[in-house]
Amino acid sequence: MLGEFEYLILSAATRLGEDAYGAAIRQEIEYATKHRCSIGALYTTLDRLEAKGFIRTRMGDPTPQRGGRPKRMVRVTAMGRRAASEFYAAVKRVSRGVSWETNRVAVR
Amino acid sequence: MGDEPSRGPMMTRGCWRLVDLLSLMLHPDERDVVRGDLAESGAAGVQALRDVLGLVVRRQVSPWTHWRPWLTLVSLVAPLGMLLSITSRDTADGSAVYVWMYANNWKWGDLVNAGFWRVFAETALIVFKGYLTLVCWSWTSGFVLGAVSHRMIQTNRVLFCLMLWFGALVGAPRYFVYYFQYVHRTFGFPSLPDPNAPVFALAFYREMFPLIVQLVLVVGPSLCGMRQGSGIARLRPLLRKILWIAAIATVAAMVTQNPELGLFLRIYGRPGIWDGWHIGFLQLVVYWPLGYLVASAIERHGAAE
Repeated sequence: MLGEFEYLILSAATRLGEDAYGAAIRQEIEYATKHRCSIGALYTTLDRLEAKGFIRTRMGDPTPQRGGRPKRMVRVTAMGRRAASEFYAAVKRVSRGVSWETNRVAVR
Repeated sequence: MGDEPSRGPMMTRGCWRLVDLLSLMLHPDERDVVRGDLAESGAAGVQALRDVLGLVVRRQVSPWTHWRPWLTLVSLVAPLGMLLSITSRDTADGSAVYVWMYANNWKWGDLVNAGFWRVFAETALIVFKGYLTLVCWSWTSGFVLGAVSHRMIQTNRVLFCLMLWFGALVGAPRYFVYYFQYVHRTFGFPSLPDPNAPVFALAFYREMFPLIVQLVLVVGPSLCGMRQGSGIARLRPLLRKILWIAAIATVAAMVTQNPELGLFLRIYGRPGIWDGWHIGFLQLVVYWPLGYLVASAIERHGAAE
């Protein structure tokens, strides 16, 4: 079972596709959650996800925007997509009938 | 408030300087990636410092949730640190007597005396041999720690230095007090007045000299050995095995050749254990770091050309 932060990273990386790397994933998470995402939390969780086989990472090319430093590119594996999908399904199942879910439906 | 505008950039510069220093604790690849992320996001100095500090702390703390670092701490960092502190104190006290002897009885006229030079050469050789052995033991201890530490090397470096510091100030002095009590009690040796009491009545030889010896001959070489040991994985498997054997033999020699420890373990009284070719060979093996460093320098020189 994934942790919620792991799920956020997998979702952000999947959405970004080929452009998924540390800073971009961090920006996506901050935009979606409206909370700060620390670099420490991001990179230690990326390591954990890679150890579980949910993502693969590689060093990208350096860019001038980054002061000539490389990016850590992230690709979500099939196993990672399956784990994220299962987590999402579990969140939906467990949320069924709770007040915020009902309200959300009512707003629609 | 008047200096506020100049304090801003200065503080920012200070923060980035700290970021640079802290980043050194990260793996080189990760260091580049993180610095790139910070540059791309245009993070302010304080924010960057908070981010890098957070990552460094997480990186250093997370391995402690596994058993490996604890085993390294209990089986290597603590005993090697304490043993080196004791040996360093022993060596320092031994050489302090010679240093005091020459410093307090110095006469320029002795320089033309052939007997003076003969005794001086003998003394210098004894002190040099003791110092060289201590340097090699320290380097090897660091090498072993570096080789087994991997990602924990920064933490182990700090812990090892703390252990040496604790050993020098508390551990070694207490050990020697206990040792003399033990010898007196167990073997019935009489408590004679210390012939070197005038030397150690001076605070310099009692307090400062052992610390200087430990800093120069133990801390420096062991940190250097740690750096070399951390790169052992890059070496060829056969060379790696040879280095491990040499390192283990050296640590074994350090444990068994420590005279006080030998007495505690009661291995000094056993006939035949301290003579024979194996002890002579072991004494030579202890100096293996010299051979290793010379070979590494030659290899680097060859690669540069």
